[in-house]
Amino acid sequence: MNTRYLPYLLILPSVLFLLLFFGWPVLSAFLLAFREGEGWGLGQFRRMAQDLYFQDALRNTLLLTAVIVPLQVALALGMALLLPRLGGGRDLFLYFWTIPLGISDLAAGIVWLAIFTERGYLNSLLHALGLLDTPTGWLTYEHPTALFLSVVAAEVWRATPLVLLILVAGLQLIPKELIEAAEVFGATPWVRFWRITLPLLKPSLQVALILRTVLAFEVFAVVVALGGRNLPVLAGEAYFWYADYQNPGVAAAYAVLILGISLAATFLYLKALRVREEVYG
Amino acid sequence: MGSIRVENVVKRFGKVEALKGVRLQVQDQEFLVLLGPSGCGKTTLLRIVAGLETPTQGEVYIGERRVTHLPPRLRGIAMVFQNYAIFPHLTVYENVAFGLRMKRRPEAAIRQKVREVAALLRIEELLERYPAQLSGGQRQRVAVARALAVEPEVLLMDEPLSNLDALLRLEMRAELKRLLKETRTTTLYVTHDQVEAMSLADRIAVMRQGEIVQLGTPTEIYHHPADTFVGGFIGNPPMNFLPVVAEGGQVVLDGLRLPSPAERGPLLLGIRAEDLEVFPEPVEGGFAARVLVVEPLGPHLQLTLEREGTTFRALADPGFAAAPGATLYLRPKEGRVRFFHPETGKAL
Amino acid sequence: MRVWPWLLALAFTLWVLLPIYLIALSAFSPREAVYAWPKAFLPGSLSLETLRFFFGVEGVWRATATSLVVAGLTVAFSLLLGAPAGYALARFPFPGRDAFRVLLILTRAFPIVVLALPLAVLFLRVGLYDTPLGVALVHTALTLPFAVLVSASLFLSIPKELEEAAWTLGCTRTQAFVKVVLPLALPGLAATAIFAFITSWNEVFAASVLTLQNKTLTAYLLTLLDESPLPFKFAGGFFLVVPALVFLFLVRRYLFTLWGISHR
Ligand SMILES: Nc1ncnc2c1ncn2[C@@H]1O[C@H](COP(=O)(O)OP(=O)(O)OP(=O)(O)O)[C@@H](O)[C@H]1O
Ligand SMILES: [Mg+2]
Repeated sequence: MNTRYLPYLLILPSVLFLLLFFGWPVLSAFLLAFREGEGWGLGQFRRMAQDLYFQDALRNTLLLTAVIVPLQVALALGMALLLPRLGGGRDLFLYFWTIPLGISDLAAGIVWLAIFTERGYLNSLLHALGLLDTPTGWLTYEHPTALFLSVVAAEVWRATPLVLLILVAGLQLIPKELIEAAEVFGATPWVRFWRITLPLLKPSLQVALILRTVLAFEVFAVVVALGGRNLPVLAGEAYFWYADYQNPGVAAAYAVLILGISLAATFLYLKALRVREEVYG
Repeated sequence: MGSIRVENVVKRFGKVEALKGVRLQVQDQEFLVLLGPSGCGKTTLLRIVAGLETPTQGEVYIGERRVTHLPPRLRGIAMVFQNYAIFPHLTVYENVAFGLRMKRRPEAAIRQKVREVAALLRIEELLERYPAQLSGGQRQRVAVARALAVEPEVLLMDEPLSNLDALLRLEMRAELKRLLKETRTTTLYVTHDQVEAMSLADRIAVMRQGEIVQLGTPTEIYHHPADTFVGGFIGNPPMNFLPVVAEGGQVVLDGLRLPSPAERGPLLLGIRAEDLEVFPEPVEGGFAARVLVVEPLGPHLQLTLEREGTTFRALADPGFAAAPGATLYLRPKEGRVRFFHPETGKAL
Repeated sequence: MRVWPWLLALAFTLWVLLPIYLIALSAFSPREAVYAWPKAFLPGSLSLETLRFFFGVEGVWRATATSLVVAGLTVAFSLLLGAPAGYALARFPFPGRDAFRVLLILTRAFPIVVLALPLAVLFLRVGLYDTPLGVALVHTALTLPFAVLVSASLFLSIPKELEEAAWTLGCTRTQAFVKVVLPLALPGLAATAIFAFITSWNEVFAASVLTLQNKTLTAYLLTLLDESPLPFKFAGGFFLVVPALVFLFLVRRYLFTLWGISHR
């Protein structure tokens, strides 16, 4: 049976598709962003940088990422390590904790809008506790910190399960004997965690961090649902420039910027968390 | 018409040469066993006959047809896999009927054939079950039934009994023997279990590192191994090899004198443990050795002995009195001694 | 048995479930309750008024239909392109296999924002702009790498001998795939399909950028966010969440294949 060419035949459609829908757009995003009149230049980037919202958008995006990602990883790690202690309840809890996986960012934004809005459940709770008299709008330009924290809450709620799954899958790969051996040699749980579990979990952590960071840089619908444009973010600006101002050039400049910091972050993670070959072949 | 001919088949996987020019002929209705240690290329050869692997060089014929480049479905074969490979999503009935359906046999003919092989393999009761509800031995039967149902010219089996526990293996072995005598299907059977090979085979092909080193009936192979490898691989305990020196066309070992195939020089004397008679006192035509270990195995006493730095084994009656450290005298039975070349290991 | 792991676990569970409960409560409350101050945490008077109002708004049904069409196309494309490639990854050690894997994994570093904008320009030119097909193609770009990796791990879990047995019993490669591999992979492939469906159903950015009139539900809701009243948003949010719950229930057996493993 001649099977030499069969695998290539089978992957060909996917390869072509991916090249067309990843390779081409990336290339033309650059072309679009560096186009200036008839020639080439940084004009689109200049326009982007001079825009009123740009600095806020950049700062907010980076800050959100810096707060959300570590929080998610810490929380997910806690949940993942908690699971084995729950005995038979493990599967049920894992099921509950992963429910937000299927919830879109827009839906998550709206869900938390019901909580944080002026007459929402948070304020009602504060009222019940006697901390608040009249409804207060937190999701406004005047309360940037409150708005920021709301976005953090919604994002952490929505996307921690993804990290959790990656880490649980990673933990399952760690041989039980290793941990038991350490136990036999008298390592405390704390030492076991730092010296064995965490280093062996590095590949999974790396994957989770890259994935979540790239996704955090394109945070969009949650923010828009909660605060409109009161908390500008990069992806949001790209959208507004494209859809509202009808200016694909500047929008593409934003896109290229997002791509740039995404790749930089990926590269950094790969460097900082280098996984030695011998750990996982 | 159901013969297999393998001509100069070479198979390389990258740098590994799994088969180094194998020739083999399986006669019509013959049961031929491929026997050899792990990694010697048995499975590879079988898969090449089946068409699951293409040879790097060489040709395969089934009947009079050259099938080297035909896909498995056009070769007129059926195969029983080591892990049975029963389709888990089909009932036993549908598993057995699978090959017949592929041949587009009419439904009535299929039903009749399935009943027939099911009866032959005693799985009539299981036909409506799914494989997950079967025991290992039952699965094995289903796999054989599925293969026989298509009435193949040639049946190929790759260690079909190795996943069964010891008792079940014995039982299935006997059953297979009965079955294949009845159906008279040409069979190429792979195993690394020499007892299985001896008990089932019309002829055995012993393989080693990608080559067939000996092809013969079980008796031939047992009593006339082609080299020290075959002698050592077949039989339990393996054949003993004692280094001796020939002088003047004779080998002398204490009181033992044998005509040697070489005029002079070193040789290996091969003798099976059960072909050595054991005596407590010096005996005419015997040689001396010191007892190292005594193991009562039930039907006989297995002795491990030492002579001039070489250890070997002999079997004595269970009542024989022997203690480690004692000196015993051994005499080979008439006509059971073989000589081998000390370097190449080939029989002389 | 110590109590604190259970308390902690319950706290996490509450954290996950409480917001869902609250959005459901909002969606099933009458209009006045949505604006009430302070809000009640227990259902007072349940009513379908809010949801009925939501579905009464012009364009919601149409957008829902568009979402379904887009998601359906995405599922079809992902499986038709992804399953063969996954099969190749699982069964053949061909040169270039690792490069292909790297390509698949690399796609994760590229934000959807980068894809959507230039494609919008391209689609305008070739007439795919503002069509469900165009959106589905971009969504497929998101789901295809997953579909390939997940189906590869599914096919890998089906012993090769089953296929070989089918070949020896008279099947061609294609017949063996259809009769043996496919039935065994089907539940997993169904989970992959559901995954592609929900990814498409949830996606906002590309869907918004690539459409004008024929918006998907998420894109449509996004354009209405500014001007729509709270009850409308809450009903919409709830309506978006429901498929997610059903979805997770359906694929819970494949949770790890779909996310945990395929991300390695
Ligand atoms: N697909 C393959 N790729 C590379 N090497 C292979 C492949 N299949 C077999 N080999 C090598 O070819 C040699 C023969 O293998 P084969 O499976 O035929 O042995 P075997 O005699 O069946 O052994 P066992 O009794 O353990 O089943 C081995 O060295 C094996 O490593
Ligand atoms: Mg083998």
